[in-house]
Amino acid sequence: MIEPDKIAEQVRMCAACPKMCRHVCPTFFAWRSDSPTPHGRALLLHQEIVGTRSIDERGVEVLYQCLECSHCLTWCKPEIDVATLVEIKRRDLVKKNLQPAGISRIASLVKDTHNPFGEDHKKRNDWIKTGSSKGKRILYFTGCTAAYREKSSSQDTVSLLESLGYTVIITPDEWCCGSPLFRTGDIQVGLEQAAHNAKVLNDIDAEEILVTCPGCYRVLTGDYPDNGHELNKPIRHISEFLAKTLDKLPTAKFDGPISFHDPCHLGRHSGIYDEPRDIIERVSGSPIVEMERNRENAMCCGNGAGLRTLFSEHAKKIGAERIRHATNVGAKYLVTSCPFCKEMLASQSDEHINVLDLPEFVLKASKGRDVKTD
Amino acid sequence: MLDEKSKKKAIERLSKIVGEEHITVHETDRILNAHDAWPLSEAKIRAGELLPLADMIVFPGTVDEVSKILVVANDFKIPVTPIGGGAGTCGGTLPIYGGIQLDLKRLDKIYEIDHDSMIVQVQAGVVGIDLEEEVNRHGYTTGHTPTSLRASNMGGFIATRSGGSMSSLYGKIEDLTLGLQVVLPDGSIVETKAVPRHSVGPDLRQLFIGSEGTLGIITEATVRLFPIPEERRFRSISFPDVHSGLEAIRKIFRAGILPSVVRLYDPEDAALSFSMHFEFDEGHCMLLLAFDGAPKKIDLDENQSVQICLDEGGIDQGEGPSKRWWEHRYDMYYPTRLTTGGYAIGDTIDIVATYDKLEDVYHAMKKAMEAEDAVVMSHFSHMYQNGGSIYMIFFTSQPDAETAWATYKRIWDVGVAACLQEGGTMSHQHGVGLSRSTYTADELGSGFSVLKKIKDVLDPNGIMNPGKLGLGVRE
Repeated sequence: MIEPDKIAEQVRMCAACPKMCRHVCPTFFAWRSDSPTPHGRALLLHQEIVGTRSIDERGVEVLYQCLECSHCLTWCKPEIDVATLVEIKRRDLVKKNLQPAGISRIASLVKDTHNPFGEDHKKRNDWIKTGSSKGKRILYFTGCTAAYREKSSSQDTVSLLESLGYTVIITPDEWCCGSPLFRTGDIQVGLEQAAHNAKVLNDIDAEEILVTCPGCYRVLTGDYPDNGHELNKPIRHISEFLAKTLDKLPTAKFDGPISFHDPCHLGRHSGIYDEPRDIIERVSGSPIVEMERNRENAMCCGNGAGLRTLFSEHAKKIGAERIRHATNVGAKYLVTSCPFCKEMLASQSDEHINVLDLPEFVLKASKGRDVKTD
Repeated sequence: MLDEKSKKKAIERLSKIVGEEHITVHETDRILNAHDAWPLSEAKIRAGELLPLADMIVFPGTVDEVSKILVVANDFKIPVTPIGGGAGTCGGTLPIYGGIQLDLKRLDKIYEIDHDSMIVQVQAGVVGIDLEEEVNRHGYTTGHTPTSLRASNMGGFIATRSGGSMSSLYGKIEDLTLGLQVVLPDGSIVETKAVPRHSVGPDLRQLFIGSEGTLGIITEATVRLFPIPEERRFRSISFPDVHSGLEAIRKIFRAGILPSVVRLYDPEDAALSFSMHFEFDEGHCMLLLAFDGAPKKIDLDENQSVQICLDEGGIDQGEGPSKRWWEHRYDMYYPTRLTTGGYAIGDTIDIVATYDKLEDVYHAMKKAMEAEDAVVMSHFSHMYQNGGSIYMIFFTSQPDAETAWATYKRIWDVGVAACLQEGGTMSHQHGVGLSRSTYTADELGSGFSVLKKIKDVLDPNGIMNPGKLGLGVRE
């Protein structure tokens, strides 16, 4: 938690900046207005702190027109993380019940159905087929997107882990990790998820917890322990996990250039950049064709922090721009390591580019022949 | 100010032109859009003050929409303040009389590069860095790299006669802009052909370059491109005083050499900028040079330039200070705890003069500004064959807002007065906006009446960015 004086100092500097990061802000790209920009958000916060003006309904909307991608931080010399400042303010807004209706709806859905889509909890992961391997026991926390929206990604994850000799455990008691709530300010409902999941995960006999969703990863490794919900076994992202077993991964030739999209929660927020690249290069035997904006400077896919829920057309515009970045470098395959990013990017892609989540990509290679998009 | 009935009618018409989603009257949007990079605006924001607000912001998506918006504005006599990146340092985009803030950010197309002619056509709302990166992909540079490159838009560059850090070689935006599309206050769309030179009467293009939205709205431009140089090489020389450094610069240009970067830091600025990183004599100035081009050509230019500097009493400092400046050239643009604390305020008066006057202007301004409680440090940059610019940078910190803003104004008043007294011109590249508006008549002298007459003919209702450039100031 940042002290109030520090917040005041940071927003004062940001509000007075001549917009040195705005050119990479994805919501500036989507709206082409000075409101949904880092300095716009900071100015709202600054004016409230110094008593110039309180945040009105439009101000609340502006604060929810932020992807919390922290791309602005990459370009900020004073290292002011507007995403964190926005998130802190969102908690305050939720406490006062001032959040947009769409955000309240997410919280209700998670409370009622344990996922933000309002899908039947019983069908969360009962459809995933697991085998009878006797290897090291890995607890796979599927996450809501892979469970309900990117089913091939979650099934491929299980198949891949089993092909590597692991025993995969999936629990029907898994709830939403709480990421959509932590990121949009509903800390209370988020912590209810954390408390439940921590108990469930801690009670299961497994050596490690594996996640494919960087949003889940960040919450399980950060928000849970920060709020007193420690997990009793290591948590690893699929990219970290597979990077430790590079020599066991299948290999295949792919029939076109492969690029990689860095998910914000995995890259800028968790510092994992090399592992997915090492895996892709090992599996394909060819170097990644990097997009101009990559690693710390990667553009967000547009799907985060409630933006698609509240402003779906603008979110899609950002996703389409990221696809354009991949097309600009001639990529035929755009791999990411996040089911959530994959969902957005795939929705904006066409037949010229094949968007894959990392487990799907690796499993394609395991088919034992060269990979073609046709 | 606009009465509510007219405002409502105007909004109805404007909404039909751009669509309801591209016009806003929300106070929050108007506040966030008013934010520019004028140090006084930034200081006031920090101090909790509100900047002047427009009644509405309109975001056109085409030049035709800009044209129709101006017709409506003229019908209702609504002030129109154009804004691009909102990164101007003189308050030129502040809507001081309310009305429409016409935001050009949606005009963001970059058309295909003409490789034969090495030119590219762009819309006014393209951010500088986006254009530079796009042409870099094709092996070119615009040659226009001001510190605000990430924040400023093409329209703003042209409207303020902007200059980049390498203007000694590539020129300022007025040299780089070959063709223009401008919408006049009556809605008519004017285009000046993109040609390298012509002899068909006065150059109308130059009438609008630097007009700061007071004569019309720049919507598109055709700008020059240069092949990315094979090499950019850096060299630094310290000098015992400003005079010897300036003499060296003058003689480098006289020898026919065009370095891309020429910056002479006076003792105070040199100490602040380089003494923490490099060893050089206390009280010395620091000259930064860069040379762009093919290595063989650079060898010749660099060797001859260094010899000239040594002959003038300079001491070779290698590439270090110059290269470091290049690599950190955007750093000074960021706010810090110190510069945003309390009622601190600083600014830069970027004057320009010929060589015969430069030193006198420098000493006179420094003396006058320091007498008003300012810490002053300066560098001579954007140098040319016949003279160049001085960045008179000042900083003051006062106990309260009222004293701070008054001190700031006094420093400006005495600084510009000293500049004009010694034969300098009050701005090289930042423009006039509000910060220099009251000095425009003195600066232009008899030429000011010509500008006013042109303004009266083109904008008889005085709707275009009133209060800027000393034009259309209202009671």
